[in-house]
Amino acid sequence: MSASDLLPVAGPRGTASVAWRLLRSRRLDLAATIATYVLGGLVGIVPVLMIGRIVDAVRVGGDRSEVVVPSLVMASAGVLAGVFATLSSAALARTVAPALAELREDVLDRALHLDSARLERAGVGDVLGRLGDDVRRLTESLDEAVPLLLQSVTAIAFTVGGLFSLDWRLGLAGVAAAPCYVLAMRWYLPRSAPFYREERVAEGARAEALVTGVRDAGTVRALGVEDLARERVERRSADAMGVTLGVFHLFTRLGARMNASECVGLVIVLATGYALVEADAATVGEATAAALFFHRLFNPIGAVLYVFDAVQASGAALARLAGVVLLPSGRATTGEPGPEPTLELRGVRHAYEADRAVLAPLDLTLRPGDHVAVVGTSGAGKTTLGGIAAGTIVPSSGTVRLGGLDVVAAPGPVLRRHVVLVSQEVHVFAGTLRDNLLLARAEATDEELWTALDATGSRPWARRLPDGLETRVGELGHPLSPAQVQQLALTRVLLRDPAVVVLDEATAEAGTSGARELERAAGAVLAGRTALVVAHRLTQARAADRVLVMDAGDVVEDGTHEQLVRAGGRYASLWAAWSDAGDADVRQA
Amino acid sequence: MGGDRGTTHDAPPAPRTAGGLLRRALRRRARHLGVGYPLLVAWQLSETLVPVVIGLVVDQAVDGGTPADLVWTLGVLVAVFVVLANGYRYGARSIVRGIEAERHALRLEVASHVLHPRGARTDRLAGETLSIATSDAQLVPSVMDQLGYAVASLVAVVAAAVYVLSVDLTLGLLVLLGVPGVLVVIQSLAPLVARRSRRQQESTAAASGIAADLLAGLRPLKGIGGEDVALARYRRVSRRAGEDTVAVARAWGHLAGLTTALSGCLLAVVAVVAGTRALDGDISLGELVALLGLTQFLAEPLRGLGDLSAQFAASRASAGRIAAFLSTPRVLPDGTSRPSRTPPPLVVEDVVAGALRGLSLRAAPGEVLALCTDDPAVSDALVAVLSGDVAPTSGRVLLDDVALDDLTIDARREQLLVCGHHVAAIAGTVRSVVDPRGGSSDDRVREALLDASALDLVDRHPDGLERVVQDTGSSLSGGQRQRLALARALATSRPVLVLQDPTSAVDAVTEQAVARGLRKARHGSTTVVVTSSPALLEQSDRVLLVVDGRVVADGRHATLLGDPTYRELVAR
Repeated sequence: MSASDLLPVAGPRGTASVAWRLLRSRRLDLAATIATYVLGGLVGIVPVLMIGRIVDAVRVGGDRSEVVVPSLVMASAGVLAGVFATLSSAALARTVAPALAELREDVLDRALHLDSARLERAGVGDVLGRLGDDVRRLTESLDEAVPLLLQSVTAIAFTVGGLFSLDWRLGLAGVAAAPCYVLAMRWYLPRSAPFYREERVAEGARAEALVTGVRDAGTVRALGVEDLARERVERRSADAMGVTLGVFHLFTRLGARMNASECVGLVIVLATGYALVEADAATVGEATAAALFFHRLFNPIGAVLYVFDAVQASGAALARLAGVVLLPSGRATTGEPGPEPTLELRGVRHAYEADRAVLAPLDLTLRPGDHVAVVGTSGAGKTTLGGIAAGTIVPSSGTVRLGGLDVVAAPGPVLRRHVVLVSQEVHVFAGTLRDNLLLARAEATDEELWTALDATGSRPWARRLPDGLETRVGELGHPLSPAQVQQLALTRVLLRDPAVVVLDEATAEAGTSGARELERAAGAVLAGRTALVVAHRLTQARAADRVLVMDAGDVVEDGTHEQLVRAGGRYASLWAAWSDAGDADVRQA
Repeated sequence: MGGDRGTTHDAPPAPRTAGGLLRRALRRRARHLGVGYPLLVAWQLSETLVPVVIGLVVDQAVDGGTPADLVWTLGVLVAVFVVLANGYRYGARSIVRGIEAERHALRLEVASHVLHPRGARTDRLAGETLSIATSDAQLVPSVMDQLGYAVASLVAVVAAAVYVLSVDLTLGLLVLLGVPGVLVVIQSLAPLVARRSRRQQESTAAASGIAADLLAGLRPLKGIGGEDVALARYRRVSRRAGEDTVAVARAWGHLAGLTTALSGCLLAVVAVVAGTRALDGDISLGELVALLGLTQFLAEPLRGLGDLSAQFAASRASAGRIAAFLSTPRVLPDGTSRPSRTPPPLVVEDVVAGALRGLSLRAAPGEVLALCTDDPAVSDALVAVLSGDVAPTSGRVLLDDVALDDLTIDARREQLLVCGHHVAAIAGTVRSVVDPRGGSSDDRVREALLDASALDLVDRHPDGLERVVQDTGSSLSGGQRQRLALARALATSRPVLVLQDPTSAVDAVTEQAVARGLRKARHGSTTVVVTSSPALLEQSDRVLLVVDGRVVADGRHATLLGDPTYRELVAR
């Protein structure tokens, strides 16, 4: 897939707005975090001041108490610093961890509510990469960066203040190295930013390769092409590694520039101290304290610059998460279908790829209780029509209404109360059988679940499951046959109890032998509802009130089974092919 | 296809324990570490020397020295910085190269384990596997980083202690005993951090597992409108992961607080003793400055060392998960035999497995044999046994006269292809799906498409064979995917082909064309089709009727129509 298909990445403003929204609701924790770090930084400066006091006491030959008292102050400051370190770490986690959990949930929320086609174009790995790698990257850098930033800024402020309090000339000497630091950052930041964006994309592609490789391993193995899948993972992983090494290489070059700045600063401070002491403008103790103060600045300054780096790295991750969160939901207007609603498609046209319409403009009306079957050769546009009627596919043009409800514009939760689609793809969700059923109606009682299972003929096998409704099914759980999986899907429809049901070849995955059982289940589900049934089993078409025959995106025949068979057109030949291999007597029975 | 590549990926087996995996990481990156660690030590030693040199400058120059004294002492300082800067730059680079190479290798190892020709029973959700291949593979090699900084910090601490000892015995002992003392106290918290980290890693992996599962079932989920219920489920797990993250951070906070407080107190004790000594004239002013500077500096490596054991525990937990994953058993056995004839007959003898209750059949070379069954479970069980996913309770499956399990893995895949009903791995272009290795001509690919009645996929598309198809994409319908997968199966030309319901999503007219194409494509090879489609049954040389997991009738489709059970099964 091309990069343009990936989900969007937010710009700086969007990213900031998402970050602010997450932090706003946690203002108290945020304030506690800042306060404890600032206090910790304040306490952290005390030992250096005390060392200066001791040095001066020693120089002038003071008494023991002038050594002991500062030392006691140092010890208490150390204990306090420890307390603040503990408090601040917890406060930060209380701010950040729930915010990130919420962000991750919002990303999945938005992803699930996207049009399936959009999400599938981007690839499941793209979303998973954001939920996994990006959140992890963000957690790591926030865990490191926020404390570093707060501690460092505090430490730098107090230390520079300390330098100036010794002597204003020593203070100036201390800040004389600042331009070196600034230059180092101005060299680094513009160079590293693209790397970090690239790294995020490369890791997303890597996740996609891994996930598809793992998911399709069985098929890939049977075909004997696992080496190709492995090579794909290897290529993607090597790409990501290349970017990571590139950015680290750059980072170590920044490190060397930082060390040079430290050296320059220290030399200036010591030389200034020497000159001031020579001129009797400062004591040796002051000169010493100044040098130690500046030495103490190495770590916090390094940390602040590291934070810039982390902000870029985590900013790239946050921008990817925000990009999904900020996607317009696009579905807002609604309406109520009203009693006995009619499903109406007007001028509906669709193209997945520009200029390649898979559905010609067509009109279709389903009155309450109508059962309409759609048949046609494979690839004729039946699934697309079903998806549009059910509102899972937004047509390129045209309108779909169910009574007063605009199907195209209605948000999922509203729409699905009235229209349900049983897709050709089946999936058993990892969880219990009950979990799987409650997806359709969270508040259903066990009794309702069993009634619905009964209606779709699922009760016998569900009863036989080792733990009944509590049996774990899905990936790694108790295996279900394709027919059982479809029965489950049909049971969910009953629980939803919608006015309109779209069945998309709901019997296909079951294989032929399970299909007739499913037809009975489908019959039970459709009774009393409006139904659009995409059918390749023509028995389903024969049972419908009306049959549409599609070809190359257009409805080419429309009528009852009997009318179309008599007309001797396309449907008639389909029916003949369908009937051909069996024994007519049996089928008519 | 696939025969000659069978042996290339049988790397030496991965270590089975966390420790083994960590040791192997260090061993196989010895070259990077051998360069990196000494440089890192040089860097950390230089960092330690900086306060000592500051003391030197104060002592020799600031406190009444000449400008020449200032110049040479500052020269020493610059020299220390040169070593320091380059030590870190090249040392860290070398180590990070080793780390990233190891991460890459581990990711590939996890992927290769799943993508081994003999498969792997990992019992993991795809999302969990992803988490192992990313998060865990990320954490394990960090052990090289941890070890490097541990060594460098220890060297710094020892160097500092040696310097202090040379200045004053009491102070030296104070530092030498005080630092390890602080470390020991800190370690009391390490198990707490490790325990909480483990829990947090597990709950995070569970959250990503659920997300992956939901996304895998996106269409059915959206069809029923279950997004919000599913999200509520995800939110619960994600919240728990968030709470676990807070718990880990709290534990780290305790560790950091304790380290800070203890090293602060150690500094105060050193200050009191050193200050008194200096007052007494036992040590010089410069030495006092250096001592206090050093002790203050030591807080840094000390904090690093304090965090180490918890970080190591996290790496170890990840290593344990990877080692456990890599030692999950293979699906297929690897034998030593090959069938002597091509195409070999496929023989199933009295197989009991799940719904199969003593099934026997023989598909002769060149025959298209159809199996029609009353129970979908029979068809699934047969596919599972033939593909090797399930070992039969009793009975045997033979290719020619060799049991399936005795075949070499290469022979198995040269001879046999079993295509279950589920269509997967449709991604790339039509050409790359049908001919993944890209060795076939256009005509050959088109022929396979024609035989599977799938030419419409490319003929009605401007990109032709280069048409892009997606795995879960909406651009292909179920029937199109099914026919494309069939074309791919036919293109392999394996001597024995087993197909399960290959036309269940295809309309009746196309189905007849597929049946004819299949017959033509498989001419002279052995083919078994599990189906109840009359079109396919009619094109078969022979049909076996399977009831209750056993063959009860055998004959041509037309003949079998006289059997009421059979008629009932194939009627639509």
